[in-house]
Amino acid sequence: MRLPFTRRAAAGETSPGVHPQPLWSYRPQSDREAGDAVVSNLLLHWFPSKVYKPSLAWNYSAWLGTISGALFFLLVLSGLPLMFLYVPSVERAYQSVKDIEYVVTFGWWIRAVHRIGAHLMVVAVVLHLARVFFTGAYKNGVGQGQQREWNWVIGVVMLLLTLFLSFTGYLLPWDQLAFWAVTVGTNIASAVPGIGPRIRELLIGGRAIEQATLIRFYVLHIIVLPGALGGLFAYHMWRIRKDGGLARADAAALAPDAKDTGPVPTKTYTLLGVARGTSPAVTARSPEAPDQTVNAVPDLTRRALIVILGTFALVSILASAIPSPLEEPANALITPNPAKAPWYFLWLQEIVTDTTIRLGSLTINGAFLGGVILPGLLVGLLTVWPWLDKSAVSTAGLWFPRSRRRQNLLFILAMLFILAFTFVGMFMRGPYWNLYWPWETWPGIPGRI
Amino acid sequence: MEKRTNSPFPRIDRPVLAAIGIVLVGATVFFAWSDRQHDYKYYQYAFRGMVAEKLGAERAATVPSGLQQVWVPGLRRADRCVTCHQAVSWKGFETAEEPHRTHPGDLLKSHPPERFGCSACHGGQGWAIDTAAAHGEVAHWEEPLLGKPLGEAYSLTDNKAALMQMNCNICHRYERATKGAEMINLAKDLVQEKGCRACHVINGRGGTIGPDLTWVGDKAPEQYDYSRLSGQTTAFAWHVAHFKDPRALVQDTVMPNFHLSTKQAQALAMLMLSWRKAPFDAAFLPGVPRTDPQTADERKAEEDMKTGPGAWFVQTGCFVCHSIAALKVRSPAQIGPDLSTAVEDTQKRFGVTVDQFLKNPTGTMSVVLSRQIVLTPEQKETAIQKLREAFAEYQRLVAEGKNPLAPPVEAAPK
Repeated sequence: MRLPFTRRAAAGETSPGVHPQPLWSYRPQSDREAGDAVVSNLLLHWFPSKVYKPSLAWNYSAWLGTISGALFFLLVLSGLPLMFLYVPSVERAYQSVKDIEYVVTFGWWIRAVHRIGAHLMVVAVVLHLARVFFTGAYKNGVGQGQQREWNWVIGVVMLLLTLFLSFTGYLLPWDQLAFWAVTVGTNIASAVPGIGPRIRELLIGGRAIEQATLIRFYVLHIIVLPGALGGLFAYHMWRIRKDGGLARADAAALAPDAKDTGPVPTKTYTLLGVARGTSPAVTARSPEAPDQTVNAVPDLTRRALIVILGTFALVSILASAIPSPLEEPANALITPNPAKAPWYFLWLQEIVTDTTIRLGSLTINGAFLGGVILPGLLVGLLTVWPWLDKSAVSTAGLWFPRSRRRQNLLFILAMLFILAFTFVGMFMRGPYWNLYWPWETWPGIPGRI
Repeated sequence: MEKRTNSPFPRIDRPVLAAIGIVLVGATVFFAWSDRQHDYKYYQYAFRGMVAEKLGAERAATVPSGLQQVWVPGLRRADRCVTCHQAVSWKGFETAEEPHRTHPGDLLKSHPPERFGCSACHGGQGWAIDTAAAHGEVAHWEEPLLGKPLGEAYSLTDNKAALMQMNCNICHRYERATKGAEMINLAKDLVQEKGCRACHVINGRGGTIGPDLTWVGDKAPEQYDYSRLSGQTTAFAWHVAHFKDPRALVQDTVMPNFHLSTKQAQALAMLMLSWRKAPFDAAFLPGVPRTDPQTADERKAEEDMKTGPGAWFVQTGCFVCHSIAALKVRSPAQIGPDLSTAVEDTQKRFGVTVDQFLKNPTGTMSVVLSRQIVLTPEQKETAIQKLREAFAEYQRLVAEGKNPLAPPVEAAPK
C-alpha cells in the first residue's frame, strides 16, 4: 500500500507548479520527474538537476568532501547521546566516560564511533584540501560571478575548525592523555611573543588546566565550533552551486571542441546551477549537452549514497574492532612519559623539539619557530595561494597539469615533511622524548605495583 | 511527456550500492555481536544452574540477572564485581570455583559489601564489567587486583594473597595491630623495633635525617630511581630491594642495612605503599586516635632519653647510631659502638684520643661529621666533655657491679 502523499500522479493529472512525486523518486521516468525529485525534496534541493558526468568520477574528486560531510554528520549524531551521558565537571567527567564505556547500552560503540569518526575527519579534510590543491580547483573558470578562491579560503577555515574541534574534544575524557595533550598544545600557543601567555589564559580560562578549561572546551566543542563548522559547510556547498559545480566542469567548457548547443527546448531549471549570467532560456555549451550530463537523481544521489553509507559502514566496523583507550584520571602532578600532543599536532611538537637549542646555560626555545611562525606561515600561504597561483585557467580541474608542476611539487614536499615529522613524533619518540627506531622497544614505564 | 534521457552512467553503480548495503548490514551484525561479548552472561547462567542444583529451582529464580553493582558514594565507588561474583553473599558455595565462591572468612560481617563495596579492599577496576579490565590486566590501570596472581608475580614469601592488606591499612593505619593483616602488623612491629622514627617523620613524629614517610605511598612511581634495580620497575619492587640493601639502590644513602629477611622487606614495602591518602568519609575510619598510640612505658623511656643525663646526645642526633648505655640512651638503629666507653675505645680502634678523633675523624664518622651532624669547635668541646662524663658514669656503674654494657641476664626460672 502506498501512503497517499507518495502516490505517483497519473498521466494528465499534473498541473503547472505541482510536482507529481512529492518524495524522492528513485527511478524517475522522465527528465522532468528527475528534476522534480530535486526540487521537491528537502535533502536533495542543494543538488543541481543535471550534473556534468566527469564531475562524478571516482578518480577525480575521490568524493573526499562528501566523506568529510558524512563524517561530520555522524559526529553530530553520535555526539548527541554522549551529551546526555557525559558530565563536564572535573570530579565526574572521567567516571562518566567510564560509565559510557562499560554500562551504558551501546555506549562503548557510540564513543568509539565519535572517536574514530573524529580522527578520520581530520584525515579526510586534509586529503580533500590536497585534492583541491592538486587539481587547482580554487581557480575560476568560465562562469560569471565565480568566487572559487573564496570558497578555498572558507575551506582552509573549515580545516582549522576541524582541528580545533578535535582538539577541544581531546580534553573531555579528563584522563592523562587528554590533560597532557592539551597541556602541550596550549603551551605551544603560549609561545607567541608578548601576548602568548594571554592567549593561553584565554584558551584555558585561567593559568592551570582546571574546571574553567573543561567547561570552556566543552561549550566550544558542542555548540560554538560545530555551529560555526555547520554554517560554513552550508555556505561551502552553496558556493559550489553558485560557482557552477566542480572546477572540472569549467575545464570541459574550455575544451577546444566545446560548442554551443543552441537553446534547450524544454528546460525548466538552470543547468549546473550557474545562477548569474544565464537566463532560463539558455544556450548551453558542450558540458551541458545531453550526452555529457546525467540526471542528479538517481546518478548523483546513488553515488552519494554509496559514499555516505560506505563511510558509515567503515566507521562502524572500525569502532567495533578498535577499543577506545581511556588512560588514568588526569593528574596535574604526574606527567606521563612521554607527553604528546594530539597526533595531528605532533609534527609541530617535533619541530619545537628540534629547533630548541641548548648551548650551555643558554636555551633558545623552539616553540616560537615551530609553534607559531611555521604553522602561521603555512596557513597564511595556503590562504593566499589562489592569488599567488598564476597558472592558466585551463589547468583547473586537471590532476597534475604540466604548468602547475612546480607548485604541486612544493605542496607534496610540504605534505611529506609534515608526514615525516608526524611519523617521528608518533612512533619514534619514547620516554623522556628520546628517539627510538620503530622496531626498538621502549624502556618500561614504572608502575606502582 | 518526454522520455528520460538514458543514463550514460556505468550500470555497475547499482551492484556497488547493493554491496555497500550488505557491508552496512554486516557492520551492524558485527557491532551487535561485539556488544554481546560479555563474560558475565555465561557466569550468571552457570551460577543459576548451580543454585538450582543445590538449593532448588525456586531459589534459582531469585538470582538477579543483568548488570549488578554496589554503589558506595562515601568511598566514591561503583563496584560491578558482583555482576560475575554473584555468590559473594550466598551461603553454601564456600568450595566452589571462582567467580562462584562465597566470600571466605567472617570479614563481611564487619565490612558488609553494601557499605564497603569490593574494590576498596581488593583493588581492581570496579567500573569494568569484563574480567581483564576489572582485574586490571589492561593498559592504563594503576590499581590492579591485589590478589594471588600479583602476589605470585612478586614471589611473596608466605601468603600470596597478602598484598590486599595494603588496602586494609589505608583505613587502619593508626592501629597498632589489625586483625587479619599479619604482614602489615609485622611491618608495624619492625618500624617500632628498628626505630625508623630516629630518621623519618611518620604521622607527624620523628627525625629529619631521612624523608618524611607519612604519605610515601602517594609518591609517583616515576619518581623512584630504577637504574640500579633489576626486574620489575615498580614502586613496590623498589621498596623491597631498598629495604634489603639500601646502598645497592641509592649509593650515597646513610640508611643502614638492617639485614632484613625477604618477608620482612616485603612486609615493610607493603606498609610503605599503604601510607597514602585515599578520599573517604570519616565514618570509614575505625575508632582509634589518628596518631600512633604509644604505651606509657614507651612514652616514659622516650621522655627520659630526651631530658635525662644523655639529652645532649639525643638532641645532637648521635643516638641515631650510637647507644650510650651509661646515660640510659638507647639507639634505635645501634649501628655504631656504644659511646659509654668512647674515651677508651678511640685509643683501641684508631690509636688516638677522643679529642683528636673528634677534631680529625676518620672512616664513617668523617662523612657523618662533615654532612649529617656538623659541629662547631665549641660543640666539639662539649661533646668531649659529655663523653668524659659518660665514661665516668660507666666506670662508677662498673665499680658498683652494674656494668651497663653487659648483656642482659635472663631471669632465672623460679
